[in-house]
Amino acid sequence: MKTRPMLTLEDCRRISAAAEAEAKRNSWNVCIAILDDGGHLLHLVRMDGASPANARIAMEKGRTAAESRRSSLVWEERIKAGRNSMLGMPGITPVQGGLPIIVEGICVGGVGVSGVQSHEDEQIAAAGIKVLG
Amino acid sequence: MLRFSSFAGSLSAVMLMTSTALAQVPPDPANPNEAVPEKATYVPYGPTIKLDQAKKAADAALAESTKRGWPMCIAVVGPSGDLVYFVKMDDCQYASISIAQHKARASAKYRRPTVVFERLLGRGPFFSYLATLDDVIASRGGNPIVVDGKIIGAIGVSGGTGSQDDLISQAGAASMK
Repeated sequence: MKTRPMLTLEDCRRISAAAEAEAKRNSWNVCIAILDDGGHLLHLVRMDGASPANARIAMEKGRTAAESRRSSLVWEERIKAGRNSMLGMPGITPVQGGLPIIVEGICVGGVGVSGVQSHEDEQIAAAGIKVLG
Repeated sequence: MLRFSSFAGSLSAVMLMTSTALAQVPPDPANPNEAVPEKATYVPYGPTIKLDQAKKAADAALAESTKRGWPMCIAVVGPSGDLVYFVKMDDCQYASISIAQHKARASAKYRRPTVVFERLLGRGPFFSYLATLDDVIASRGGNPIVVDGKIIGAIGVSGGTGSQDDLISQAGAASMK
């Protein structure tokens, strides 16, 4: 039987705290969502000033990364390159700001961020995932 | 288009037939919903809960769940039901991810604990209409977060029995008083 790593609440708290610190350092008000590899919400923080839409978008970016096991930017770039049919992919939000969480070569979930420019959203998500080492 | 007009025609015919009947619906003395209260009683909305406050309420609920060994999902929303903070404890059932959010949202949007819906539906068929209202969840575990007499948000908990959920939810809400 295969065993695989799984995110705990403690992991989520560490990821979220590091991401929030990165946002605060830049005075950015964002929402940070962490989901497991099946796209189930594990942890969410909506900072003061971030909109209700940011919460929904952060979850969807995170889901995109977690379930497809790749950055949501990959989807955005495929479409930008002319692959418009990718817009119809189920459960995919093709906007930068969602990153997969890869542990021991296995995707254990995703982090989605929304609230500032997309590349800045991704910077926050990356800062969060970095704490896992 | 033709099918639509014939449908609209038959619909209006039905409405014509029933409109006179509707005006004549007699009051039902057995129905407790017939009473018209003199005053509207409600707790007013305040400013949207701050993230620090949401974390404080959720952490109080989390501490109580951890102490009791109950794996829960805890959601905190603003007055309009929009998600501000969420945590899923390890080993909490997947269904509770959305139920916790639903309880928090319903509690905020209806400005009352969700146990109210559960109790009234339990009282019988005169209250079954509650299940037809938008976004209602008739299960205890959602409670408003009140600060200075105003509702700034709500906390929803799911993962155990309704009674366990409500105990944890109330512990979270009480930490803000």
